[in-house]
Amino acid sequence: MLNFLKDFEAKLGIKITCSQETKPLGTAGPLALARDKLIDDSGEPFFVLNSDVISEYPLKEMIAFHKHHGGEASIMVAKVDEPSKYGVVVMEESTGEVEKFVEKPKLFVGNKINAGIYLLNPSVLDRIELRPTSIEKEVFPKIASEKKLYAMVLPGFWMDVGQPRDYITGLRLYLDSLRKKSPSKLATGSHIVGNVIVDETTKIGEGCLIGPDVAIGPGCVVESGVRLSCCTVMQGVRIKKHACISSTIIGWHSTVGQWARVENMTILGEDVHVCDEIYSNGGVVLPHKEIKSRIWKPEIVMCKLIKNPR
Amino acid sequence: MGSTDERVVAVIMVGGPTKGTRFRPLSLNIPKPLFPLAGQPMVHHPISACKKIPNLAQIFLIGFYDEREFALYVSSISNELRVPVRYLREDKPHGSAGGLYNFRDLIMEDSPSHIFLLNCDVCCSFPLPEMLESHRRYGGMGTILVIKVSAESANQFGELVADPATNELLHYTEKPETFVSDRINCGVYIFTPDIFTAIQGVSTQRKDRANLRRLSSFDALDSTTRNLPTDFVRLDQDILSPLAGKKQFYTYETMDFWEQIKTPGMSLKCSALYLAQFRFTSPNLLASGDGTKSAAISGDVYIHPSAKVHPTAKIGPNVSISANARIGAGARLISCIILDDVEIKENAVVIHAIVGWKSSIGRWSRVQASGDYNAKLGITILGEAVSVEDEVVVVNSIVLPNKTLNVSVQEEIIL
Repeated sequence: MLNFLKDFEAKLGIKITCSQETKPLGTAGPLALARDKLIDDSGEPFFVLNSDVISEYPLKEMIAFHKHHGGEASIMVAKVDEPSKYGVVVMEESTGEVEKFVEKPKLFVGNKINAGIYLLNPSVLDRIELRPTSIEKEVFPKIASEKKLYAMVLPGFWMDVGQPRDYITGLRLYLDSLRKKSPSKLATGSHIVGNVIVDETTKIGEGCLIGPDVAIGPGCVVESGVRLSCCTVMQGVRIKKHACISSTIIGWHSTVGQWARVENMTILGEDVHVCDEIYSNGGVVLPHKEIKSRIWKPEIVMCKLIKNPR
Repeated sequence: MGSTDERVVAVIMVGGPTKGTRFRPLSLNIPKPLFPLAGQPMVHHPISACKKIPNLAQIFLIGFYDEREFALYVSSISNELRVPVRYLREDKPHGSAGGLYNFRDLIMEDSPSHIFLLNCDVCCSFPLPEMLESHRRYGGMGTILVIKVSAESANQFGELVADPATNELLHYTEKPETFVSDRINCGVYIFTPDIFTAIQGVSTQRKDRANLRRLSSFDALDSTTRNLPTDFVRLDQDILSPLAGKKQFYTYETMDFWEQIKTPGMSLKCSALYLAQFRFTSPNLLASGDGTKSAAISGDVYIHPSAKVHPTAKIGPNVSISANARIGAGARLISCIILDDVEIKENAVVIHAIVGWKSSIGRWSRVQASGDYNAKLGITILGEAVSVEDEVVVVNSIVLPNKTLNVSVQEEIIL
């Protein structure tokens, strides 16, 4: 991971510092751990972002919102169809002042949920002890009771991509947004359908049909006659001829054999090799495995399989 | 011993439409005996085997199908083999021996010295000349082809006990509940013309008993045959069982393959057995190719001359492709029967399946099954004119004719 961060430092021209928890400190504790790195004497607020979400990140607008209300902390909220899956933020609609948090409510209390993007004044750090602490359950409710917490409704899309199925949906939303904002980043060609993004170092063969909603990372090889839809292909993957892949995440440096059929939320970890002609219906395969026999129904592949025919 | 004047005839029982229900949905479109195995109609395999019999005079096909269903086939095979092949229609069921007796005048037309009786839905190597030779040595009324099977499966068939020295048939039981023997009746026989006398004897005996019952009210007489018409004679129960141990019948054991073709799944297995046999008997019928000028071929594959296969497709093992089929670029076929006029589009995959006449398999679609020939849904069957749309997956399913599949299915029968 550190190598990856170094590449990004160079690409983006910013400084990236890491703070590592030796034991889990919850959702607020890690901020206390990194206190020295977070406080400079400018007194300016700092962003806290959860990495397992995706959105358009309207950060400039959030800074303006924060300065306008003058409170101690701002959080982004997303409007969702099924709020009971998450923590709901009950807020005053016109000012955005937060009343309270309700975790996974059984009855409808509101449809805005915590999107995991915060802008905090340095004084918030004084409220966090260096122990396992929850920002949603302990810190924010206290700030809200002092009427110093404000919520801004996220424009555009938002997705919690912690689960693989949601990751694929998140990819679709992200590519959709890319089509509107910077369509030149998307791939074009007679072999492309819908929104597709392909790294420039990747090679695609003849007679393929790629898309919709496909992202292919660097250094991949997609051989001829391949069909890809609704999938993510990580760095260094080789997809052999005539394979057909949909609703799948393919991990780094994996391979998919000739005429293989991989679909229905199949997840291949790093260095997984699916043999020729294999059918995988929702297999979840841990890293460094070879798949020599079919997976008829969704299952987790951890250990050695008993050999079945194709 | 046999003189060169001795003529031999063969009779092949082909059954009838009411009996072939287990072969649906394929038998909805074609009489089961004409369904292709390894590129040739099912009945063609025993007929070809008959051609090896020295002094073969005629071949008779006996069944319940309408004559028109067999007219074309029978005339073309007669021409090809240069042996008269005739289809005889049974008007009502006479039993496995009664059917033979019913047409005895025609069968005995050329005064043959020996008569072969074969069942069309038997898949085996048909060692007929060897059976004839052995039968002559034994000098009995008939010789039965037998094979050794596993003890557990033997009770699905007729079990026989034979004298290990003389090969005489000592005992015969049809589908016994307890274990009798692991040697079973293959459904292939050779008889001398006195078989007709034996069959007539059964008929007469039954008539006498019927008369006796009318004259007296003696109910202890054989109740199992009470309700059978007098001309309904079963070979197994009425001839072989009673005459076992009387130096009338003998056995000839085959060490080759043997299967019954009762279900579509089994037809795929038997097609593979015949393809494997072609490698020894007629290798020119099998396809070859390495993917450069023509498609890459793996194992035993039959491709009809009018079928078109793209050079980037990979075919086999155990694949049979019928007339006018079109196999597109990058397709992959393994263990399947592709019937006439089927179109398989680019990059599609077919494994352990039978694809019905005029069906269409879309691009990147997948038609597959577990390959268990005995399981009800172990081989995927697509009936006539089924359309599988692009990228659709069909697994362990049976699809009746004229259906369009635009969503994937698994373990279903689509009506």
